[in-house]
Amino acid sequence: MNRFDLLNKVQNILKNNLVICNIGLPSQELYKISDQPNFFYMLGSMGLSSSIGLGLALSQNKHVISIDGDGSVLMNMNTLATIGNRAPSNYTLLIIDNGSYGSTGDQRTFTDEKTSLKNVALGAGCKNVVECSGEETVNALNKAIDDKDNSYVIISKINSGNVKIDPIPLNPITIRDRFRKFIGIVKYL
Amino acid sequence: MKISKKIIDNLKKGGVDFYLSVPCKLLANMIDILENDKDVYYSAVPREEEGMGICAGAYLGNKFPCIMMQNTGIGNSVNAIVSLLQLYQMPVVFLISYRGTPGEPVGAQGGMAKITEDILQTLRIPMLHCFSEKELDKISTFSKHAKVVESPVAILCDFNLMKDDK
Repeated sequence: MNRFDLLNKVQNILKNNLVICNIGLPSQELYKISDQPNFFYMLGSMGLSSSIGLGLALSQNKHVISIDGDGSVLMNMNTLATIGNRAPSNYTLLIIDNGSYGSTGDQRTFTDEKTSLKNVALGAGCKNVVECSGEETVNALNKAIDDKDNSYVIISKINSGNVKIDPIPLNPITIRDRFRKFIGIVKYL
Repeated sequence: MKISKKIIDNLKKGGVDFYLSVPCKLLANMIDILENDKDVYYSAVPREEEGMGICAGAYLGNKFPCIMMQNTGIGNSVNAIVSLLQLYQMPVVFLISYRGTPGEPVGAQGGMAKITEDILQTLRIPMLHCFSEKELDKISTFSKHAKVVESPVAILCDFNLMKDDK
């Protein structure tokens, strides 16, 4: 199972939640599978999906899923400490860990060598850390969303590999405003 | 404490209701005030760039965020400012303790001080440089300006303004 297969598998869960999606191929693949107004596609700022989702979860009550990658979490690893100490129960961080920098040509990341993001997250103070296969991710996500008392970090271990795909044609303000309209903030669209 | 209280009062008057900080000695009183303020959200964060991301999310969730940091933090955050806050036109207030300005005893702070305003200018971020107490009254209007123009804005609190705020 690669990232595209995984996103296909979890799309029905994503549709019912606020989603912050990592820059590059993850966003492009999700857009191709199913474009939704409650999906916030990152067009820049690699590493910050986890942080954007955390700020959103702290600011309103709907459940937030940050879709991140192993390369991106390695770039902003301090985020796990902030999540471990501050994440509310309406927050789930889904790390799609394929051991590679998919958007830049599948170079290996350190999670393909010695680094365990599960151990890093536990050490950073995250309590509910689930490492699972791609197939098990649907159940792990459902459990995280159903648990109204705890936040979760899910590390979904899958294979590397990408599908051929185009950049997202939406402009950033469209992504911003339809997302905020979905939450109920923007009234003019 | 008087200066710090006035700064926070003016930010709140400007509508800011979500605060993050990466600590600085000059921000210590403001952090104390915010930690005891039940009306607004406050948290420390380990790194400024991450704070920019959290602020972006808070804006999406209808908060008006502020990140408090040293001017060195701007250097840590340039890509997040340009490719996230400015790309999606998100209002965020940067409350910056301006280390390395005349009066600063730590020489090493001078390097970032020399280029701080140049960086902000290059980024086209509106700036309010507060040298003395009388400038603090402009903070609330300046904060509201961020929302009007949908842009980050920077408030620079000079070393000399903050150093005696016991």
